[in-house]
Amino acid sequence: MTQLVQAGLYGLLQGCMLGLIAVGFSLVWGVMNVVNLAHGAFVVVGAYVAFELHDLFGLDPFLGSVPAALALFVFGYLTQRYMINLVVNAPIFITLLLTFGLQLLLVNGLILVFTADYRSVPTRYAADSLVLPGDVRLPLGRLIAALIAVGLTVALGYLMRRTRTGLAILATGMDRGAARLMGIRARHVYALTFGIAAALAGGAGAAVGAVSTFSPADAGRFTLFSFVAAVLGGLGNTSGALLGGLVLGLVEGIGGQLLPGTLVNALAFAVLVVVLAIRPQGIAGRAFYASRVEA
Amino acid sequence: MTNVDSEDPATEVTGVAGTAAAAPVAEVPAPIRPDGLRRALPWAVGLLALAAGFGLQTQLYTGQERTVTTVFMFVGLAAAWNLLGGYTGYASFGQVGFFGLGGYATVVVMVHAHLSFWLALPVAAVVAGGFAALVGWPLLRLRGHYFAVATLGVAEGLREVMTNLPRLTGGGAGITIPTVGPEAPTRWLGNDGFYVLFLLLAAFVVATAGIVASTPAGYALRAIHQDEEAAAAMGINTTVAKTLVFAGSAALTGMIGAAYAFQQVTIYPERLFDVDITVLMVVMVVLGGSGTILGPVLGAIAVAYASEWLRQHFTAGHTFVLGALIILAVILLPQGFTNYVRDATKSRRFSLLENVRRYRL
Repeated sequence: MTQLVQAGLYGLLQGCMLGLIAVGFSLVWGVMNVVNLAHGAFVVVGAYVAFELHDLFGLDPFLGSVPAALALFVFGYLTQRYMINLVVNAPIFITLLLTFGLQLLLVNGLILVFTADYRSVPTRYAADSLVLPGDVRLPLGRLIAALIAVGLTVALGYLMRRTRTGLAILATGMDRGAARLMGIRARHVYALTFGIAAALAGGAGAAVGAVSTFSPADAGRFTLFSFVAAVLGGLGNTSGALLGGLVLGLVEGIGGQLLPGTLVNALAFAVLVVVLAIRPQGIAGRAFYASRVEA
Repeated sequence: MTNVDSEDPATEVTGVAGTAAAAPVAEVPAPIRPDGLRRALPWAVGLLALAAGFGLQTQLYTGQERTVTTVFMFVGLAAAWNLLGGYTGYASFGQVGFFGLGGYATVVVMVHAHLSFWLALPVAAVVAGGFAALVGWPLLRLRGHYFAVATLGVAEGLREVMTNLPRLTGGGAGITIPTVGPEAPTRWLGNDGFYVLFLLLAAFVVATAGIVASTPAGYALRAIHQDEEAAAAMGINTTVAKTLVFAGSAALTGMIGAAYAFQQVTIYPERLFDVDITVLMVVMVVLGGSGTILGPVLGAIAVAYASEWLRQHFTAGHTFVLGALIILAVILLPQGFTNYVRDATKSRRFSLLENVRRYRL
């Protein structure tokens, strides 16, 4: 029993981080109808930024998530503004391919610079754990990471609903033509959206670096997890993506205890396919794009 | 082999359909088809290309022969992907699942049932096609990214299932098909044999695509691409059409997967369900020109050759350069090479920069 509770708790903490990663992915998909296959690569880039900052200045990786997020915001903004915007009206597989090319570029660039070795950013406290009643352990690093994840998701929700920038993003996502007529610069808003998503991925990446090992090869895994979490939560729905991440983390944590081998991954994909086939709007309810007819 | 002209009849057919809907009494013209010579020409060119493929074999040394065999494999895969993705616009990102399924069907037939490879080939086609029909029925109701992601999920799930059935598939450690000695159901074909096998498979897939594209079925698929509701309103059973072409595309992919598994001898889930294979198919079709016969062939040859050339000249960073090339090509030629050439020769506008403006925000 303790083992199951432990696994569930661990899964929830992991799920918070997956959720944070998926939030940006979901945002880009919902607003621009772009599936960003390079999203996982952004996470890994964020981890390497934190790694380098720790290496050079001894900066704590959790604090390092701020510069990592800033760096990726700039990178994401420029990528969308000067690259993805060029093909954003093309059929869907064009943008998929473009971001896949970007993913190859980033991952292999990282391999060339840092080699494919697994790394982690050491801290003095991340491996410590709080012992809860019933001998359940709560690893401190993962707790901090999960708190950061929840905090950032809430902050994003506030940004989207309460600020003019966020409302401009939402409006552009709902009807780009109408938004432009209202004086919103769609190019800038798209770039901003992509920048925010990349920043969230980068910040999450720094936290990932602090609590576990990472290598450029992990990029694809993060992208796939974002897929699943974003679909589970309903596209474009930021709190939904966090929820999707939590469900995914919980399934992975508890399923990993009960199922042999890596069969739990097959379960995750089965859930994904079934949710897509039966409830494409996600388990969290209404996606803000459920009615869109995709071209 | 080429039937680029068939685009014109397709648009005309939808035009005809439109007027017929407005005035049902109007006489229905005979189906528009190119006349005899124009219909025969692409097939003649295709046969010539096939003969050239055989001729080329005599001129190659072993290393080159293997490279060209890989190119043929991708020609077949790209042409099979194009059947669904190019003609109906349903981008399957799980195509490698059928490739792997075909490969593992071969393993079951050859390793566990000790039967010949030549039996495994059709079995692989049936297994992959049947599985595609089964999952296609619910999944083809999804559109756009949703379909892409769902198929991706199916392929990833298949890989995990294969990894976790060690008794049947050898699990992550892989399984070896006996190809030499008395217990081998079929002897390994050798480099020459596989060259011919993949050449014939590629020719078969391209010919199938050619037949589908030039018959009413092809027009139905293109109609679905342009406007699915309108196609359904014109009496096309879109569900059946989509499911059939999905299954057909999967069956062809499964056959190529079977041949690949036999060629590799030892197969692993990681390799047979590699997402990159799917992406390569898509890259080839998109760059060559989706929805044409010639496009995927040219795209596959160009991309497979470029990838191989880069591997030899930039050992460390070849994937890096490949990524940059994909980005550049997608931005400059988003509609693909053959479609670009066709439009450019018609409109006399060859500027690539003007081309970039097409899909810009």
